[in-house]
Amino acid sequence: MRKTLFVTMTLLSFSNVSFTYRGDWLQKIHAVTDVSFAVPSGCAYGFLGANGAGKSTSIKLLTGLLHGHQGQITLFGQPLGDRHLRARLGYLPEQPYFYDNLQVEEYLTYLGKLSGLTAPAIRAACDRVYQLLDLGDLRTRMLRSFSKGMRQRFGLAQAILHQPDLLVLDEPFSGLDPLWRARFREVLHHERKRGATLFFSSHILADVEDLCDHYGMIDHGRMLEQGRLADLLGQAPLALTGSGPLAVGAVAAADGTWQVTFPEAEREARLAALPPGAHVLRLERQRIALEDYFVSRIRAFHGAGHRLGDT
Amino acid sequence: MLTIIAGATFREAVRSRTFLLLIVIYTVGVLLSRIVGWISSTDGDLVTTDLVLSLQSVIGVLVAVATGTALVQSEIQQKTLYTILSRPVARWQFVVGKFLGLAAALALGQGLMLSIALAYLWLTGAPVHGWLILAGMLTIVEVLVMAAVSLCWTALSSPLLAAVLGLATYALGHAVAALPDLINHLQGGQQILASTLASLVPNLGMFAYRNQAAYALPMSWSDAGLSLGYGALWICLLVCITVGVVRRKQL
Repeated sequence: MRKTLFVTMTLLSFSNVSFTYRGDWLQKIHAVTDVSFAVPSGCAYGFLGANGAGKSTSIKLLTGLLHGHQGQITLFGQPLGDRHLRARLGYLPEQPYFYDNLQVEEYLTYLGKLSGLTAPAIRAACDRVYQLLDLGDLRTRMLRSFSKGMRQRFGLAQAILHQPDLLVLDEPFSGLDPLWRARFREVLHHERKRGATLFFSSHILADVEDLCDHYGMIDHGRMLEQGRLADLLGQAPLALTGSGPLAVGAVAAADGTWQVTFPEAEREARLAALPPGAHVLRLERQRIALEDYFVSRIRAFHGAGHRLGDT
Repeated sequence: MLTIIAGATFREAVRSRTFLLLIVIYTVGVLLSRIVGWISSTDGDLVTTDLVLSLQSVIGVLVAVATGTALVQSEIQQKTLYTILSRPVARWQFVVGKFLGLAAALALGQGLMLSIALAYLWLTGAPVHGWLILAGMLTIVEVLVMAAVSLCWTALSSPLLAAVLGLATYALGHAVAALPDLINHLQGGQQILASTLASLVPNLGMFAYRNQAAYALPMSWSDAGLSLGYGALWICLLVCITVGVVRRKQL
């Protein structure tokens, strides 16, 4: 009997990557310092960080727009450098701009050809993205007439056009109204089902929570933490609601019940220490809002003495 | 890959408002050139012919500088090249493809201008001969050299500075044509220094056959070939420098 071995391949990895560029008056600016992370195949990786944290620099390094880094970046298991690897990459830059005087269809055909698609494949790919992003009626429109949100839609269309294995999206939800944010999420879910791996930065953490299963947090060019989102959210404390005699540390409510919260590790001890006559009504995990966690984590990092310019 | 990039650049360039506007300005200039011919004390046809050919050069160079300087630095500033260079496209392919597309658009514009000029001269009864076409062709080479100059300057500086430097190079390039006589008056190290400095700028006098063409003075094919080869060499050199700069650029 043949056994099928499923191996989770690392699609993208940074190993101790540092990048320094020259600012005004040739001042050295350390944009990223000793950054390491790995993006497994098939996952959706949320790359979180405040403005100037090093997200866009990291993304530009992996797309080949910046070069001269220290450390190693691998793409599809191979060291960065072979430009042909980029045929399997889809990239949406932050606040994308496009040539004004090309029509949507011309532009997509142009980019499709650059990605190595044949003419019939380009036609099929265009039809697919027109449908996904409602661009069909705009196919003969010049891009100079596009609003910010429409440019963002076109930006995602060109990124997914050639059905890349890795989608790298820099702030994909910026400039979108709530309806189009929801549609973008649907399209990205659709891309994941197709088999694409997502790697994206976003300030809108609710979208990260909705889409991602892995996350990495960067600040001042340094990786703060990374892991599975489920593990992070699983660290939320438990909330025990009961009635009868008050448990230790419990807060009484007006309806005669009380509530006490404690970490998962104290679950058994807390339940065993309930006073006689106390009744457990509910034991549930509190929800961690990623946004709150992100803010507290960054503040803690700053509180530990890291300030802007430290890196 | 080069033809794909060149094709898109060509479409983008010929649809730009600057390109269309300067063609219109040229047409108006050609129509007005007759007035200068009328008020001229010499042969009105010769003055008009000389003027329309010179106008082709000036307008062509303005288009070349305006579009050439927008080619690299503006693409970086506006991030339009991000979605291209994140695909399997080498930077040299991007630069060379962009230049080829721009050169094709400029050649088309120049061809249109030359056609308008010849049609106008023919309609107004001025003599039209093959030397005018040769002069127009050499002007096209001059414009392409200026496009390469602008491309190179924009890779090294900002678009505005590149435009200023491009126009300065145009002025110097024509001044260099008069230098050999001056350099002959110098001696020793001064002569070597002056010759070296002069060789750093393309001698645009090599393409300025317009005045002679207006008088139907013949140009030998070897001289025409030499000018063509000289222009091609400068274009290759400048595009190579631009490739070298863009390959190192952090985007």
